[in-house]
Amino acid sequence: MTEARVTENPVPPTGTSAELLLDGVSRSYGDNLAVRSISAEVPASKISVIVGPSGCGKSTLLRIISGLDEPTAGRVEFEGVPVKGVPEGLAMVFQDYSRSLYPWMRVDKNVAFPIKHLPAKERAERVRFAIDEVGLSGKEKLYPWQMSGGMQQRVAIARALASHPKLLLMDEPYASVDAQTRADLEDLLMRIQAELGITVLVVTHDIDESVYLADRIIVLSAPPSVVAEVIDVDLPRPRDHIATKTDPRFVEIRGHVTRLLRSKEQATSA
Amino acid sequence: MKLLHEPLSGQRQVVLGVVGVVGTAAVWEGVIRSGLLDVPGLPLPSGVVRGVGDLLPDSTFWDAVVFTLGEWMLGLAIAAVVGVLVGGLMGAFRSAFLVFEWPVEAFRVLPSVAVGPILVLVIGQGRLPLSLTVALACVWPVLLNTMYGVRSTDTTAVMTAKTFGYGGLAVLRSIKIPSALPFAYTGVRIAASIGLLVAVSAELLIGNGSGIGGYILSNTANATNLDLVYAATLVAGVLGVTVNLVMAKLDDVLFGWKKGLAQ
Ligand SMILES: Nc1ncnc2c1ncn2[C@@H]1O[C@H](COP(=O)(O)OP(=O)(O)O)[C@@H](O)[C@H]1O
Ligand SMILES: [Mg+2]
Repeated sequence: MTEARVTENPVPPTGTSAELLLDGVSRSYGDNLAVRSISAEVPASKISVIVGPSGCGKSTLLRIISGLDEPTAGRVEFEGVPVKGVPEGLAMVFQDYSRSLYPWMRVDKNVAFPIKHLPAKERAERVRFAIDEVGLSGKEKLYPWQMSGGMQQRVAIARALASHPKLLLMDEPYASVDAQTRADLEDLLMRIQAELGITVLVVTHDIDESVYLADRIIVLSAPPSVVAEVIDVDLPRPRDHIATKTDPRFVEIRGHVTRLLRSKEQATSA
Repeated sequence: MKLLHEPLSGQRQVVLGVVGVVGTAAVWEGVIRSGLLDVPGLPLPSGVVRGVGDLLPDSTFWDAVVFTLGEWMLGLAIAAVVGVLVGGLMGAFRSAFLVFEWPVEAFRVLPSVAVGPILVLVIGQGRLPLSLTVALACVWPVLLNTMYGVRSTDTTAVMTAKTFGYGGLAVLRSIKIPSALPFAYTGVRIAASIGLLVAVSAELLIGNGSGIGGYILSNTANATNLDLVYAATLVAGVLGVTVNLVMAKLDDVLFGWKKGLAQ
């Protein structure tokens, strides 16, 4: 099975070390080929964004990367080790915070959930740090459902941080919050990533968001999806919603990604 | 007039409730006194209230109430333990489901009160066969609710725990069981009301004179004081309502997060 490595999408050479390597990853559900031979490299200590239309297999891909699901062909390597089961040092933030957070636990308990095995003192320290990091100090004793959507997603991010991840996966993390909250959370993510130097892989269908966040964009085509193009984004950091988004480079890259997604859609619907 | 969903002060709710009860009793009293309904043995509400008055100082009656409550609680406890355990296993493990599925289907349709006399034959008279009869009726809502609760655990909640390194059993303990508890509790609540009904019915059948059922039976046999019988029935009903209220309150305290979530 591992011989079926289709290299339609050769991995572009880069200077950075790859934290995560996808090599010919495919996943089919019965006759339905959800993901067709995805190859890509996710560099360490950077923000990479997978962008693609709805139903192109982004969530499927993240499930495979996190070891929750297995590819029908191809392989995934995390820090040079093939992924089999959920690897250490990985955390995931889901779009649906209300289902991902545990409603019977208060905020501090939710955040402590990944580190229950640690001694109480260290656990408390990590929880405090993580909650502080996402700006929720003082809200520890609330239940998630007593908070706004944006605050709940902050709790989910804090919980991921408490586990000290090397790789943070996010599946359309901001698709269910309003535009202003979304902008704030995008900046929050970039600030935390810069501070802690973790590797982040975000999945989104929002082109603006992908260009704004990314050091690297992996553009997926419509299903059965393949990598349409890998784009390294050299916009300066720290980024800003006004300055960055009016930067001619930003506008250019956004146009390019839009064209890529559009032409692929037309190609598949034709 | 406020519509059903509009808020009403607690005081007004109580007043309206009392008006309903007293009004019904008054109409009932009027219908019988006026001769509109002439059937011997029908109780007059005023007579029943007097009957309750007679019951209150009657220690044999209170012994009966205590007996029934103990019988009911023992039965409910057995049902809760067995129901949560078996239902939980059936919800969590496919093999357990396959093993228990048909026995459960078969035993579920047995009328529990009819099993009572068999139990008496096997283990003799006393509180135990009564409690087991209660348990047999009460176990199903607990079992089915728990099983459903475990099974319906949110997949995202489970995936989240797995990405944080939780294995199958840890997910069961930390995620599936807590999210199934409100369902199990609802099962226990349903079972509690059923259990009280079955407890009194079983006493009528195999009680050998014990409990509220036995008290009602012996007083009906004499036909001396039917009002006393109706009063005992009324007390049993009030007991049931009280149990329900207490358990509803406990539900709010323990599983408030479930309601908060639904808003
Ligand atoms: N568990 C599953 N069983 C069958 N088909 C699935 C399953 N999960 C995803 N798919 C299919 O795979 C494709 C990609 O789904 P998904 O990964 O959720 O896409 P995206 O996250 O990009 O919107 C869709 O066509 C979907 O119907
Ligand atoms: Mg998705």
